Amino acid sequence: MESTSKRLELTQHLVELFENTPQDVISKIVYLLQGKIRPDFEGIELGVAEKLAIRAISKSSGLTTKKIEEEYRKTGDLGQAATIILEQKTQTTFLVENITIERVYETLFKIARLEGSRSQDMKMKYISSLLNDATPVEASFILKILLGTLRLGVAENTVMDALAIAYTGSKENRKALEHAYNVSSDLGKVAETVASKGIKGVEDFEIILFNPIRPMLADRVKSEREAIEKMGDEFAAEYKLDGERVQIHVDGEKAVLFSRSLENISKYYPDIIEKIPKSVLSDQVILEAEAVAINENTGEFLPFQELMHRRRKYKIEKAVSQYPITVNFFDILFYNGKSCLDVEYQERRKMLEKTVKEDEYSKHVPMKLIKSENDLEDFLENSINSGCEGVMLKMLDKPYQAGARGSFWLKLKREYRNELGDSLDLVVIGAFFGKGRRTGLYGTLLLASYDEDTDTFTSICKVGTGFTDEYLDQLYQILSSKVTIKKNPRINSEMEADVWFEPELVIEIVATEITLSPIHKAAMDEIRKGSGLALRFPKFTGKIRFEKFAEDASTNEEVINLYKGQKKMAHDKNLM
Amino acid sequence: MTFGAKTSGSDDLKAILSAISTLVEEATFVATAEGITFRGMDPSHVALIDISWPNSAFEKYECDSDIKFGVRIDEFSKLIKRADKNDSIEISISEQNMLLVTVGKNKKYKIRLIESSATDTPLPKIPYNSKITLTSSKFDKILGDVQVVSDYLTIHTSDSKADFSGKGDSGEVIIDLENDTDDIDEISSKEDSTGTYSLEYLNPVVKAVGANAGLITCEFSSAKPLRIEFKVANIGRIHFYLAPRVES
Repeated sequence: MESTSKRLELTQHLVELFENTPQDVISKIVYLLQGKIRPDFEGIELGVAEKLAIRAISKSSGLTTKKIEEEYRKTGDLGQAATIILEQKTQTTFLVENITIERVYETLFKIARLEGSRSQDMKMKYISSLLNDATPVEASFILKILLGTLRLGVAENTVMDALAIAYTGSKENRKALEHAYNVSSDLGKVAETVASKGIKGVEDFEIILFNPIRPMLADRVKSEREAIEKMGDEFAAEYKLDGERVQIHVDGEKAVLFSRSLENISKYYPDIIEKIPKSVLSDQVILEAEAVAINENTGEFLPFQELMHRRRKYKIEKAVSQYPITVNFFDILFYNGKSCLDVEYQERRKMLEKTVKEDEYSKHVPMKLIKSENDLEDFLENSINSGCEGVMLKMLDKPYQAGARGSFWLKLKREYRNELGDSLDLVVIGAFFGKGRRTGLYGTLLLASYDEDTDTFTSICKVGTGFTDEYLDQLYQILSSKVTIKKNPRINSEMEADVWFEPELVIEIVATEITLSPIHKAAMDEIRKGSGLALRFPKFTGKIRFEKFAEDASTNEEVINLYKGQKKMAHDKNLM
Repeated sequence: MTFGAKTSGSDDLKAILSAISTLVEEATFVATAEGITFRGMDPSHVALIDISWPNSAFEKYECDSDIKFGVRIDEFSKLIKRADKNDSIEISISEQNMLLVTVGKNKKYKIRLIESSATDTPLPKIPYNSKITLTSSKFDKILGDVQVVSDYLTIHTSDSKADFSGKGDSGEVIIDLENDTDDIDEISSKEDSTGTYSLEYLNPVVKAVGANAGLITCEFSSAKPLRIEFKVANIGRIHFYLAPRVES
């Protein structure tokens, strides 16, 4: 499967696989195909780091970790490296057990559940036990699953196609499978059901409280005009808040929260878990809302980044009080124990308003009926002024299409602009070897700004986005001739790159913002003692500035001015 | 069913648990009228421990039908570590699948038993051509000496001489032994033998049991498993088996 990208061929392979799979392991196969062991929302993660995997390979092969790292560097893929290494293994074992799906699955499951002080060692031993009995090729796949780098190219849709063909004889039945998947988010369970109960079993699939529903997505439109053309004479518009989209499942006093990507994120929002059941006037509901950080003094919405302060392991309580939020409801998917996915939007909105009591914390997302382009312009303007990203447009008489991106919902955002207002020209000083598709190339570059005072190049960011395959090739050609054995003394970087270059090549970068950084050296100590400046979300624009010398790159003075400029903009915004 | 076993001190049990904990996290013990046994292999199938603790080693021992009981080793050792050297330890099993552990006169612990999953682990049946008996402290020292340059230990015997060696990226070491020092009790070999074994497995178990064992006996044949017997006063048998490394 790895060697083909043709969907029909993939489907055919899968159909054969499923036809030869006993019913009781079908769900395990489906999870493993996707490099998982359980559906995402259960949050069972393997959490195996490369270092640990390398130790396990070392243990099973009897070769040193250094040898394995060398091989890894050569191939760029640890699974492949393991195949080569294990062919030379020296450690013998007392017995060889067969590698079966069940055994791999059970072992992975054990690894995922291990915790505590000795868990790393035990994980290593379990991995090693699989590697001992696996053929070198099997070992490669086991490692890829463990490291989360399995790329069989099997999309969920392809799995569903194959399930439909293998168990119902017709690809037409895909739709039913898709629906079952969209309401349960558990492809393994769908597979098991269709394998044991046929298409009827799948058609009877219903929403289960606390199993997340795959969210409905919206197409994008660029202008008010285009929106009107697509939505017709009358439709609803809602503020598109710059927060985190959450799905809240409530049963009496109990609540569970899922992110847009269906991860259980209850632990980051203990305030939602505590307060929302009290604002809900129904026993069993599934609601969708946008959790938004607010300025407590003014009630203003704050940007999404503020919420990220809550994504931490410890001291959540402190983050809850430091970064207060409101929860802004916009849809209802399940009401009093019944699905309302098939209910029209405007009816759902009414149900939502009846079900959720508004207060300081729980709100209904502002909504307006739009009948003209003027209406829409005004509403968009208002939404931007209150700190939103734009508006969501929704057809009044349409159901909730779980898991689908369609034209029943549209999003209209402010035009994208480069937040920093200006691009930067930066010097390539080092690089990190690429993995996967970027094997054998430089996957990530280390960039520097120019410090005029000391005539040095100070690290400012790593960049790995914005590169097409052509650029990667071209950059590799250019840069590999600039590699130096030792770091050039004019380079000032605490970060250790895999390779260092003569500081010569200049490329153009855009970024969303400049932030203080404990690692990067640009403008060190200028803004704050012990901190440099770094670019946030840097992206290569595609322009290699051959005409520039390294000394013509953006200077730290310019970087400081940009940093101060954005502080002012943020300040101005707060005063509005 | 009646089962109860009482030791006169805590050292032996500590040594046993600590040896087992180097290999597995869950252990299944078997109790019969003759005593308690344990046999288990690490998940990688590279090392195996075989322990037999005869009824005579206990101050009090009672078992009228064979039983198996499984424990999580870390939980069990944690509470045994609370015992002083001279504390007696008494174990028995309650109907609710709990292990009752009385430490000394007045500490009574209960820990949950786990489902025993162990299948019968067969012992490697091989003739051992070479044998070295030495003090555990000497052996521990040799392992430390070799560890400096290597991840594995090569043992070579020829008649009544033996040498221990190791080789790594940074260098190599060889340590010669003859049958005449205080630390060496016996070196004998039916034929010249060379075996290589991972220190990653040897070190922890020797550290775990070493202090309680006076002498240890290593037996092996060329490119065959190593068997180490730890001589601990009260315990009938602690055998540690380790699969060799072979050059491919």
